[in-house]
Amino acid sequence: MEQRTNSPYPRIDRPMLAIIGVLLILSCALFFASDRAHDWRYYQATFRDQVAQKFGADRAAGVLTGVQQIWVADLGRADRCTTCHQATSWKGFEQADEPFRTHPVEPLKTHPVEKFGCTSCHGGQGWAVDVAEAHGEVAHWEEPLLSKTLGQEYSLSGNKGALLQMNCNICHRYDRETRGADAINLAKRLVDEKGCRACHTINNRGGRIGPDLTRVGEKAPEQYDYSRLSGQQTAFAWHVAHFKNPKALTTDSTMPNFGFNTEQAQALAMLVLSWRPADVPAAYLAGAPRTDTPTVEQLAEEERMRTGPGAWFVETGCSTCHSIQVYGVKSPAQIGPDLSNAVEDVQSRFGRTIDDFLREPTGTMSVVLSRQIILTPEQKAIAIQKLREAFAVYQKQQAEKQKER
Amino acid sequence: MSLPEQAPGVRPRPFWSLRPKSDRDAGDAVTSNFLLHWFPAKVSKASMSWTYSFWLGTITAALFLLLTLSGLPLLFLYVPSVERAYQSVKDIEYAITFGRWIRAVHRVAAHGMVITVVLHLARVFFTGAYKNGIARNQKREWNWVIGVAMLLLTLFLSFTGYLLPWDQLAFWAVTVGTNIASAIPWIGPDVRELLIGGRAIEQATLIRFYVLHIFFLPAAVGVLFAYHMWRVRKDGGLARADRDELSETPRSVAVVPTKTYTLLGVARGTAPTVTARSLEAADTSVNAVPDLMRRAMIATLGTIAVISILAVFIASPLEEPANALITPNPAKAPWYFLWLQEIVTDTTIHLGSFTINGAFIGGVVLPGLLIGLLTVWPWLDRSPREATGVWFPRARRTQNIVFIAIVIGILILTYIGMELRGPYWEFFWPWETWPSVPGRI
Repeated sequence: MEQRTNSPYPRIDRPMLAIIGVLLILSCALFFASDRAHDWRYYQATFRDQVAQKFGADRAAGVLTGVQQIWVADLGRADRCTTCHQATSWKGFEQADEPFRTHPVEPLKTHPVEKFGCTSCHGGQGWAVDVAEAHGEVAHWEEPLLSKTLGQEYSLSGNKGALLQMNCNICHRYDRETRGADAINLAKRLVDEKGCRACHTINNRGGRIGPDLTRVGEKAPEQYDYSRLSGQQTAFAWHVAHFKNPKALTTDSTMPNFGFNTEQAQALAMLVLSWRPADVPAAYLAGAPRTDTPTVEQLAEEERMRTGPGAWFVETGCSTCHSIQVYGVKSPAQIGPDLSNAVEDVQSRFGRTIDDFLREPTGTMSVVLSRQIILTPEQKAIAIQKLREAFAVYQKQQAEKQKER
Repeated sequence: MSLPEQAPGVRPRPFWSLRPKSDRDAGDAVTSNFLLHWFPAKVSKASMSWTYSFWLGTITAALFLLLTLSGLPLLFLYVPSVERAYQSVKDIEYAITFGRWIRAVHRVAAHGMVITVVLHLARVFFTGAYKNGIARNQKREWNWVIGVAMLLLTLFLSFTGYLLPWDQLAFWAVTVGTNIASAIPWIGPDVRELLIGGRAIEQATLIRFYVLHIFFLPAAVGVLFAYHMWRVRKDGGLARADRDELSETPRSVAVVPTKTYTLLGVARGTAPTVTARSLEAADTSVNAVPDLMRRAMIATLGTIAVISILAVFIASPLEEPANALITPNPAKAPWYFLWLQEIVTDTTIHLGSFTINGAFIGGVVLPGLLIGLLTVWPWLDRSPREATGVWFPRARRTQNIVFIAIVIGILILTYIGMELRGPYWEFFWPWETWPSVPGRI
């Protein structure tokens, strides 16, 4: 072969090109390997072995392979959970360890998996096919699996798996009682008993003193003030601490401390976090009224008080927080003191006359009278008049009691 | 095995795909081959050096090729709608075979291209390679201008790609970026509106960025790239070759007893004795095929191998779905614009209740000034011809030092923006920990 040029390059460049060829082959091997290295391959093989042991090779051959998906078009969910959790629809794995356990049959009767998928109830990241990502225990995924493990992390009192009930209540928010959602049911009872609606609007009904809670569950975790919260910085932890002692987290809060215990505070935190717009088609909510109306008893009680001698206090809205025992008016919340003896009570609490106090209220009453019950000077005069009348009745009753003794 | 009849003197190798039967055949093969026309017939040994150009232009071109190739499958998988974009990226990440790797290749190559384009520009500046030599009709300064244009296009390509996943990172990086654009006096808000197709970043923005990203910008880069390469050939190759020509006196070169390329194809026999400068001399130059070709392959395939391996190990981020109501803390521009965001912050002055917004200085005046200066620099650079095609020549010392100072300044600001700016864009030293980001539950 004739020598065309005297080139020094092939001696170094050819081996270099060869090394790059090797690198290219290595890179192919690497990306092939990385694409195959998924946890689900291991779990599928293990499950097949378990089926073979239990039911024989024939049935094991029927175990599905590859990525499995439940596509719920209505909810826009593609849940690939059953790729690993293959036993969910198998009988005979009721006592097995996850991910090989049979799903309890009862909830699936009313919530068929084809219609609801997995993540609408359980949380987690349905798209993902690896454990940490699928369970949502990764950065930038706000809907972690609402598992017992997570419940343990929060030291839930009682049922450690109760966090799941938050997702029940996204659809069932207008139910007074939801079967199987004990924590949420407890919280809903507390909302009624403690009269949260005296200050807060919930489901478009209630007061204006505190913030509207109808959609509080969609408030972003970044939007809470964690500066006075120790420990976990999550919206859930914030709400638990806030329910236990509102002023400890928000110093200028007018919300009273209801003395909730841990279980109650946790249940309430679950409830408020579940209050977010349900992104589900109307058909999924069929049968449920789109509001939660007061019960017949509550309405009857209100009617009785509205027509009784304490009618003015009920109509004006005082009775949301205050009972007026002398007139048989009983506040559902009983947040404030009884107004029967307000005339002397205000004097002893604030060192001011009732007239003076109503003209220039302080504390919670200044918030109430500026935001929710706005009275003209004439109405204030009537209020003072009414309070004096109530006090007269009160004094009479006291005197009678004295006599009886 | 008897080989078919062939041109005299051509000794085919077993792996040759072409067996020219005549000199004419061989000539036709040369004229019809794209790669043989991309490269000159001969190339000076000086411009073959690894350490002169670091082959940054070739690497950049290889990255562009890789971006085109990895972009093609993504075109089939990605859905440019605000309802589906995020979901489709999740599917690429989790369900598509090799999807995660393809996306990572695309992302790593994109960031890589921003880096190599800048390095290539810096190399050309430091070696004064935008300066013309002695050959006629050289217009290296214009090739430099095209290069600057391609740098801007590369940044814009990367920026438009940033929005497509429609996650929080994307949404807010583009929010910060387009807000900087709106600081241009008088026309700023209109420029922003034109960019994002409305007053808010929405579907109109997404489709605009998408079409720019997958068609108009790559097409523009492709056209400019072709012209860039053509100019390199027209200007006589790398400036390094000119330098050799400048520094050597013409000398007679011995008869070359080999093929020569004429207008009529390949003529066998001897070329006449010529007076040649070193570029044509046999001892200072090599044939482009295979020597230049092989090195170009090393650079290209090497880039592909490195990116492909990196893509296995570098996961591409995908944050929460875009949400206009929740600003991630901190909201940051793409990293290559962070030095601007940092300047915007530093030039925003609060005097009591009075605020002078730094977006105009940091977002418009300064980058505009730098890009403008960069573009016209070949005409401002009055250094002698001898300072061409050599690293850090004495005659260009001052301008190189100023250039380095600006680059270091930009790098420091970028580092501060990337690593030292925490929640609320507050400054944190590297040893200080950022407050944790709260979660929902």
